[in-house]
Amino acid sequence: MEKPQDPLDSLLDRWGDTTLEPSEHLEAETWRRIAHAATTAEPERRAGWLACIEVAFARPSFTVAFVAACVLLGLFLAEARVSHLQEARSRQVVQHYLRLIDPLVEDAPGVKVVAEVAKP
Amino acid sequence: MKRTILALSLGLVCGLGAHQGWFVTHRPRPVDDLESQWEWMREDLRLDETQVARIRALHEQSSPQLLALARRVAQMRREFAAFEKARRSSGEVDFLEFARYVDQQRALDRECVDSTRRLVAATVDVMRPEQRRQYLASLGPEFEAVAASVPKT
Repeated sequence: MEKPQDPLDSLLDRWGDTTLEPSEHLEAETWRRIAHAATTAEPERRAGWLACIEVAFARPSFTVAFVAACVLLGLFLAEARVSHLQEARSRQVVQHYLRLIDPLVEDAPGVKVVAEVAKP
Repeated sequence: MKRTILALSLGLVCGLGAHQGWFVTHRPRPVDDLESQWEWMREDLRLDETQVARIRALHEQSSPQLLALARRVAQMRREFAAFEKARRSSGEVDFLEFARYVDQQRALDRECVDSTRRLVAATVDVMRPEQRRQYLASLGPEFEAVAASVPKT
């Protein structure tokens, strides 16, 4: 039994016989498009980000939230700075006090501090 | 664009303002005199006025003795430095003098430690238990013996 002729077979046969010659401008065109895509993609992306930021700040609620976040960050950093200074001060106070009560602490100001106490 | 820049600037100014304001109002004062020392004790150990007055009196009472000891310690250190300098330059050691120095140094050290411990013990006697613990912990491990000798009431 003979198989029915598939129209695709003749097309495939013809494609196998012919060799496609690439256009002489193909390579140049390809590089031109790559260069174009490279130069336009970055500014477009940047413009996209800027547009996003502008859209966000156009909403008053976002602006208020942003300012509040800045204030909170400022307060947090200030508190961190203050507690760091408090720790340093506590150490300094203890050293100062030890110099006051212990004549063996090796530091000349010890004598000075004790003398301060002795003042009327 | 103008609005965005304005919002960013406003955020920056408010953040910096809040930071500076908080820092200036909460910044600890430097410890440069005895008053700030007492202030620290009062605040840190939560001492009441009576306790502060008694502790202050105790410290003032022992200060002439501590001052005299501090002077003797300084003098001993000067003498030892001179002794060491002479030993290095001449290469000879006066063992008798050195032994005398060591004896004097030991006696002075003992006297200093005793007077400091007496003062610390008298001070913790004025404090409540939790204040004592905090006070002795802040002074360091050298004063653990004092903590052990004080009754835990």
